[in-house]
Amino acid sequence: MSLVNLRGRVAYVFEEENFDIDQIVGVKNIRISDAEVLAKVAMNAYDEHFAERMRPGDLLVGAANFGYGHPHYPPMIAMRKLGITAVIAESFSPGYWWGEMAEGFAQIECPGITRLVSRWDEIEVDWKEHRVINLSRGTELIFKPFSASDLLVLEAGGLIPYLKLKRQCP
Amino acid sequence: MGYTMTEKILARTAGLATVNAGDEVQVKPDFVLAYDFPGYTDRYFKEMESEFQVIQVKEPARFGVFIDHMIPAITPDEEQFHKETRDWATRNGVEVFERRGIGHQVAAEVGYAVPGALAVHFDPHISQLGTFGTLALGIHRNMLEAYVQDTVSLRVPESVRIDFNGQLQAGVMARDVLNYLVKTLGPSACQFCVMELAGSGLASLSVEGLQTITGLAMFTGAISAIVAPDAVRLDYARSRSRKVLEPVYSDADARYRAVHTIDLGTIEPLIVIPPSSAGTRDLTDYLGLEVHVGYLGSCASGRLEDLRIAAQILKGRTLAPGFSLYVVPTSQQIMAAAAKEGLLTTLVEAGAFISSPSCDYCYGRIGTMNAGQRAVSTGTLNVRGRMGSSDSEIYLCSAAAVAAAAIEGKVADPRHYL
Repeated sequence: MSLVNLRGRVAYVFEEENFDIDQIVGVKNIRISDAEVLAKVAMNAYDEHFAERMRPGDLLVGAANFGYGHPHYPPMIAMRKLGITAVIAESFSPGYWWGEMAEGFAQIECPGITRLVSRWDEIEVDWKEHRVINLSRGTELIFKPFSASDLLVLEAGGLIPYLKLKRQCP
Repeated sequence: MGYTMTEKILARTAGLATVNAGDEVQVKPDFVLAYDFPGYTDRYFKEMESEFQVIQVKEPARFGVFIDHMIPAITPDEEQFHKETRDWATRNGVEVFERRGIGHQVAAEVGYAVPGALAVHFDPHISQLGTFGTLALGIHRNMLEAYVQDTVSLRVPESVRIDFNGQLQAGVMARDVLNYLVKTLGPSACQFCVMELAGSGLASLSVEGLQTITGLAMFTGAISAIVAPDAVRLDYARSRSRKVLEPVYSDADARYRAVHTIDLGTIEPLIVIPPSSAGTRDLTDYLGLEVHVGYLGSCASGRLEDLRIAAQILKGRTLAPGFSLYVVPTSQQIMAAAAKEGLLTTLVEAGAFISSPSCDYCYGRIGTMNAGQRAVSTGTLNVRGRMGSSDSEIYLCSAAAVAAAAIEGKVADPRHYL
């Protein structure tokens, strides 16, 4: 296990179930590929000061079936550009989950997370013990462990470095 | 203990005697399909060379590329993009299907819907090949794995079985069935599972209707959908199959995460309100809502039974003043058949705008809506801005409901016109 525990603030809690992430940048911006531009338009409909409030290491929290719809990649390209390191949700829509995990972007299923944290709480993701710890409140929850291969993808930093490693050592 | 169709297909493609839900396996897809789109195919083609030094795919007959988005091109850059796709396919010996129609439909027409086969694509709507007993998965970024090596890694999914019985009322379509599944079982009912359709009620659903339901399975959280092939679907598939495989069937004692029974006769017309595919409501609660645009097409509709019912409803009638109705047959084959039946004439005489097949109406690249406009649509999605301005709205429903709304300029009950 080479993953370093994540520690940061809850940058936003998406309370809407079945949240369609394309709304983060708006469908009109969904064909933009420039991360700088995407970072500027991200979350404008939710918090117009979102970008300036972000700190590297912050995390996002989502409700059940996060990523529902037909998700595209630009919203989370924007979020990674802003320093977001992971998304923790009650549960995920599979297409979204697959697509972002392939980027090496941790998508952590943690039932109860929306009750555990509030926006700006300081939290930690403990990979070894499968815990999300709310450092601000002194509470914690167990998250659903990743499969061995999913962990290897995260450790490698995404699908491409993972495949390279695997092809070298089949 | 028995196995599901999905487990059997994945066992064969993993080269194993059996696999069980939850197993992590390396499987060799029978077919690797994609449509060309910026950020997807161009990225795979570039990365397979730059990151993995793979200049050509192995076994090019396993691969297929569809050009169905940005058709027709409206900028030189778009045409250049298609040219680069064609060039890549030529270099790799991979077949390209251009302007034949929407790829997920064309894939069935040209023989990728092989019962018992495994197909992968980046787009989850490929699940509609499940109509023919093909396990077709939208694997997103993991497509790169399929371009650079024989196998892709996969966790064997559980299945959720839906047993249909009874038959649909007149004016209720397969789209209503899918919306009913989302409404009653929930938008995450099949999360990370394959939705397996079964039961005596299947006999009353057409092949085209099953393509609609399986193609939209992702809105139940499913990663795909599959149906055991019957004689009709086997005949369709085998008459054009690119590969000969023994069809597979789930064992009677196969294990499912859940089994649900649905009486098709109880389903009423439904409408999906914006901004989410989860917003399923009774259509009758929205009767009279003013609408300005109708779209009948996409990989989820635009097939002959959709065009037939729309023509039946619109025959001898005209569109409401100011209403724009876009009718986009799903493939050239379907368009030609509709022309021979006189369906296109009926629709044109009613005032419809008929387009050759293209994916572009579904995402607002053509027939773009302005702020304040509201559409009834058989497209796949209704997220804000999907068909134009972020201040326009999309209500998803069946082809019959789109045709009825086109007459009134309001959400209308199609059963009144049949």
